[in-house]
Formats: sequence, C-alpha cells, structure tokens
Amino acid sequence: MANKAQIRSRNSALIAMIADEDTVTGFLLAGVGNVDLRRKTNYLIVDSKTSVKQIEDAFKEFTTREDIAIVMISQFVANMIRFLVDSYNKPVPAILEIPSKDHPYDPTHDSVLSRVKYLFSAESVASGRR
Amino acid sequence: MAEEEGTRNIDNGRYSTQQQQQQQEEEEGGGEREGDQKVVKFLDSVDSYLTLVDSLSSTLRQGWLELAGARHSMGASRISSALFDLKHHCAATTLQITEDGVDSTMKQPNFTLCKWVSPDNRNCSSDKAKFDEDESLQRTSTKLQLRYRGTSEIQEKRPESNGSALTIDYQIQKERSKSLSMFGTLVSPKLRAGQLSFEMALDTLVEIANMRSSILSAYDQVRNDMESTRG
Repeated sequence: MANKAQIRSRNSALIAMIADEDTVTGFLLAGVGNVDLRRKTNYLIVDSKTSVKQIEDAFKEFTTREDIAIVMISQFVANMIRFLVDSYNKPVPAILEIPSKDHPYDPTHDSVLSRVKYLFSAESVASGRR
Repeated sequence: MAEEEGTRNIDNGRYSTQQQQQQQEEEEGGGEREGDQKVVKFLDSVDSYLTLVDSLSSTLRQGWLELAGARHSMGASRISSALFDLKHHCAATTLQITEDGVDSTMKQPNFTLCKWVSPDNRNCSSDKAKFDEDESLQRTSTKLQLRYRGTSEIQEKRPESNGSALTIDYQIQKERSKSLSMFGTLVSPKLRAGQLSFEMALDTLVEIANMRSSILSAYDQVRNDMESTRG
C-alpha cells in the first residue's frame, strides 16, 4: 500500500498550490511562495483561461518534485482532473483538496475519503469479521 | 481404586479442554477488541479530518473577505497576480517531514510547519542548527501570532526577552513585511489581517495533512486485519 513506500525525512520541503487567484495570493502572503533559479514557481493560478492540460501538467510536476511535501488543490480544480487525483496514492507529497471562494468543499468528492469509503459501510466491516 | 483414578483423569481432561476453549475465546475476544479499536481510531481520524476541513473553510473565508476589503481600499490593480515576485527567491515558510512508524511495516509521514525562516539564515547554518532554529522560530511565531491577534494587554504581559528572541521577532517581522512588499510599501491593514488569516489557514492545512496520514494508516491497518481474518 501507499504507506509502505519510502518516506524521506526532509527539513525544508515546500507547499505547492493549484488554486484560484485569491487563494494563491493569500498563501503567498503567508510565505509559501518559491521561485527557483529557472524561474519555476510552486503554484499555478487557475482562471477561466487555464486549460485542463496545464492543470494536469502542473499536478504531475508538483507530485514528482522531490522538494514538495504538500500539494493543495482547490476542489473544483481537482474535479477537472479527478482521474489523476484519485489515482495518486503516494504518502508524500500529500494531496489536499481545499474549498474555493465560489465552490464550497464537498466531502463526497474528496480523494482521501473516496479511497477509504469502503469502510464506511458497516456491512463491509462485519463481513470481514465473519 | 482403578475406577476412581480413571474418573479423575477424565475430569482433568475435561478441565484442560474447557481451559483451552476459554483461552481461545479470550484470544478471539482480544483480537476483536483490538480490531474494534482500530476501526474506532479510523472513524475518529475521519471525523477530525472533516472538522479540520470545516475550520479551514471558515479561516479561508475570513482571509478572502479581508483580501477583498484590502482590494477595495487599495484598488484592484494594486492586489493582483501581475505583481507577484517572479525573481528567484526561497519560501519563507516551509515544512519539515518526519516519519512516524506505527509498526515496522507501516510508516506515516508527519508534517511540521516552519514559519518565517529566513532563507539567508537557512543557507548559512548546518542541518542541526537549522532544526533548532526552526523549533525556536515556530514557538516564537506562535507567540507573535497571539500578540498580533490579541490586545495591548498581552503585549504588556510579555516577559523580558533576551537579545536572540528579539532578533528572531525582528526577523519574522522582516519576512512578513517582505512578503507584503510585493503589493507596495504602504499596504492596507486589511491586507495584514488577511496575511494572518492565511497563516492560520496554513496551520490548519498542516494539521489536515497529518490527519490524512493518520486516516490512511488506520485504513491500511483495518484492511490488513480484515484480509488476515478472511485468509
């Protein structure tokens, strides 16, 4: 399972963001913004002009970068690449779905809860015991 | 005599079988209890996860409101993504990842937030010193947050701090101002309030990340138990 994967201890890992402009602005004010020597940022601002391909590419980049520990993604953006988000099962970087201004958080769409919802059914737990 | 001995042996045999059965039942009961505990732990983690996400939603809502207020007072063109700093710079707020082992096979990552660590200091110091510094900075930044949010009364209660604590306070202020400076030197107090809200959101976010690890670890344990019971 995912938890059996190797987890490297790191002292200064980054938080990446794929979200709307205001959310990114707020977290940049909180000091999470990082621009490397190649001028690559650790965030992607999603607006009406952003294509699904751009979001996919950013998600793939952030989840493969070794210096990133958490990728926060607005849930409405995650819904646009749901197949990618749901198939991701590594412990680090952790994918966190966050609410956005116009789209409140819906737990039924959350990838973590979707992964474990099998156990919400009392029958599935009981059948395991029998 | 022989008959009596035979009866005694049969009784002993019955007694030992009963004991074995009792032991087996106790073991099964213990296993079930342990299994129940794991399920409870899992459900507890899910509940905490949902509570934290709810708390994150309200903190973010507060942050967006303050950002909108700042945009209203400063003008839309002064708070925009076009003003983001795209020159090379390191993040002032980073994460520390450590490994928490549930048992030898199950490891879960644990995230710790290191707020407002100056990138300059980080580059100069060794790993050990960096860790110590992060720890102290974290403690100080929490205190500082309380001072910001609280009244002047809290400020007055502050004990006499030594030189290094003052330096760290100054460093944090400097990092905060640096972060705000992308939108100008004189910014709206609402933008500063928004900055604090998003800092709080970041704290909650790290708690959510840790809870996520806990959910997945508990889920794996329960699933393994179920599989071993079936197998």
